[in-house]
Amino acid sequence: MDSNQERFVEDALDLLNELDEGLLQLEGNPHARAPLEQVFRTMHTIKGGANMFGFENIGELSHHLETLYDLVRQEKLTVTDKLISITLHAFDKVRDVLQLRDAGMISRAEGLKEHLHNALQYLQDVQADNGSGSSLSRKIDEVATFLIRIVPSIRMTEDGNHPLVFIIKDIESLGTSKVYVFKKEEEVVQWDVYLTTTTAREEIESYFIFVEQDCIVNCVKLGTDLLSTAEFQNFLKENSGAPIGLDQIQSFSSSQNPIGNEKNEDIGSGKTFNLAKKGLHDTYIKVSKRKIDDLLNWISELIILQAQLATSSSRIKDSDLSEVTELLEMVTNRLRDTSLEIGLVPIETLVTKFKRLVRDLSKTLEKKVNFLSEGAETEMDKDVIELMSDPMIHIIRNCIDHGIEAPEVRKAAGKSEHGTVKLKAFNSSAYVNIIISDDGAGIDKQKVLLKAKEKGIVGSSAELTDDEILNLIFHPGLSTASSVSDISGRGVGMDVVRQKLNDLRGYVSVQSSPGKGTSFHIKLPLSRSIIEGLLVKVDETPYVVPLNIVTRIDRMAYETLDRVNKLNPSVVVNEELLSVFSLRENFHSGSAAPKTADIISVTINGARRAIAVDRIEGKLQTVMKPLGDAFIQQDFIAGSTILGDGSLALVLDPVRLFQVSVN
Amino acid sequence: MMKHAVLAYLTFSLGEEKFAIPVGNVQEVVEFGQVTKVPNAPDYMLGIINLRGRILPLLDTKLKLGLSATVKTKKSRVMVLDIPTGDDKRLHIGAIVDVAREVIEISPKEIQEAPDVDDLKSSAPITGILNVHGDITMIMDIKKVFSIQELAKIKASIN
Repeated sequence: MDSNQERFVEDALDLLNELDEGLLQLEGNPHARAPLEQVFRTMHTIKGGANMFGFENIGELSHHLETLYDLVRQEKLTVTDKLISITLHAFDKVRDVLQLRDAGMISRAEGLKEHLHNALQYLQDVQADNGSGSSLSRKIDEVATFLIRIVPSIRMTEDGNHPLVFIIKDIESLGTSKVYVFKKEEEVVQWDVYLTTTTAREEIESYFIFVEQDCIVNCVKLGTDLLSTAEFQNFLKENSGAPIGLDQIQSFSSSQNPIGNEKNEDIGSGKTFNLAKKGLHDTYIKVSKRKIDDLLNWISELIILQAQLATSSSRIKDSDLSEVTELLEMVTNRLRDTSLEIGLVPIETLVTKFKRLVRDLSKTLEKKVNFLSEGAETEMDKDVIELMSDPMIHIIRNCIDHGIEAPEVRKAAGKSEHGTVKLKAFNSSAYVNIIISDDGAGIDKQKVLLKAKEKGIVGSSAELTDDEILNLIFHPGLSTASSVSDISGRGVGMDVVRQKLNDLRGYVSVQSSPGKGTSFHIKLPLSRSIIEGLLVKVDETPYVVPLNIVTRIDRMAYETLDRVNKLNPSVVVNEELLSVFSLRENFHSGSAAPKTADIISVTINGARRAIAVDRIEGKLQTVMKPLGDAFIQQDFIAGSTILGDGSLALVLDPVRLFQVSVN
Repeated sequence: MMKHAVLAYLTFSLGEEKFAIPVGNVQEVVEFGQVTKVPNAPDYMLGIINLRGRILPLLDTKLKLGLSATVKTKKSRVMVLDIPTGDDKRLHIGAIVDVAREVIEISPKEIQEAPDVDDLKSSAPITGILNVHGDITMIMDIKKVFSIQELAKIKASIN
């Protein structure tokens, strides 16, 4: 694939997400103009790109679907569930094909024909319907005169190349029109377009959706066929020097052409729509991920150097030097924060994916499910978003499959027939929080416990707290669904969810109350390379234990850890029997041990364990670097970090560390 | 007759013996500083070192070749090597030598084939020998000595 084709594939994949979003909106609101325009425009862009870069098969499919939506735009076709489904499925296939990322395979891809056939068939069916008498009644629009007042919010000239200039030309041609341009030093301050047309106001307004950030549009209905009257033309001529006050025109037009109550109502609701997003004209550029990674690497270097400088400076004790060092620290921290933000993208793409999932699933399962999202603008590392997608899909599937009850069950329980699945995302300190909740039946704790006992996961007489029971759902091989379905309930999944989150150094917890619903709380670190940990030492080798798993710290004599001649290898820590992994015993048995050990209790995959070290030095936030291929066998070391004095500490991967102890 | 390209080599000592490797694979030679040991690694993998913010694995060249472990002296040096390992990847590794000597230029015709004694040629990590009036310098096969695939293979054969 050449670079242009690659770029097209990347762009198209983004566009497909937007298309999904638009189609879902359109499904929810079949008469809405804005999503229809968006869908149409997106398809058009995909078609154009596909044809240009040699993927005629995609171009052809897009073309025929675009035709369908063009008919919708002309009001010759209505939006139906079937139409949306055909379109969604067709573009799902396109997405699959594009993800092959191989020009040859894309252009030869099988399966698009089938969707093309579906689209053509749909068109035929609809036309056949129309032919047989039940033709879609074309609404006969009344003739009306509008004043469309456009105030650009950015600088532009009348003969400039801003799309707005052309949009105004398009609007002029919708009917009889008269355009007044008001300028100040060559720059347009306002357009007044008087238009007598049969086009509805909504449609006129929809012309401006492309440029809504760049202008304020005010569209007011003045009356019926005003422009053809000599009085109105004269009135306009007299007042052409400056924009006419709205009330002045209205009083004129109402005296000319009384249209009764309707007019007053319309004038009152002559709504202004100005959706200038966040008020800022932020521009975007596409940057390759590699460049951002490079930048982040260099910033990491800078952070390390800065820490070293701080150490040296505090040793040298020179006031000039320490002042510069402090300033440098401030700048470095700012630089770090900004650069970390560069790699972050909003989780919006995920949300769109989930909307699709909820729609498809609720149809298959014949449940009524509403999907709400909050905080879709929350930003996360792009890689993390991709890695998190599958685990979160799994949770949502579980919510719909196991959580939300069938509509009749819900009704019987006095709940609304529509279940709700809610995704809420927000930032807190160095973490991104995602809460996925449903208002379904909740997790049946007794059933979970019974199942766990049945499968021998917990002892038959074990007494567990509610939290412990809920945590059992993350145990490999436990599923409470009475029958295995396609969607979930194979007993693999929730443990994989937890595993994935562990890999990303995040965690998941669950809360549930019977009849009210279940919520999963996912917590992920903002950055994968910057970690918080406990700096510990064993035989002069510094290690870092990630802080997110640490639950408590105790100090005890090394002798108590010596279980060589005892049957029970566990150690009582804070009245709890824990399996302790001693770094000294396993990795540094050569030298003599100090008297006491610090015992760090950790929670790994819901299980409590402990790590024994010689001593804890303190807490640190640092940049982790991979060890590289040379130590691929030593995977219980997640990476290494450079300490202030220039020496290296090893960052432990606790999950794999305990796997070492098992082997 | 076409002139053969003269190549630059860095020479170094391991005990009594002299070796040479192409200068193109040596990024720099640094003094032997602080090492952090990585547990459960083979003996010849001494750990990791911090080279101005870069983390490099450090290898004891003598141990790797089956000789006795390097004893650290004032003359001990770390050669920072950059070795292509196929599939577009490069291995950056530090290798300890007893003495780093000098850069010399050798034309290909001066290099003799390694003697085929006792399977030496196929197992010894040497691509050739430079004999200057009885003063022997062995050209080291860096890919064999330092490549990760080789390291992994050795590990696999031990287990």
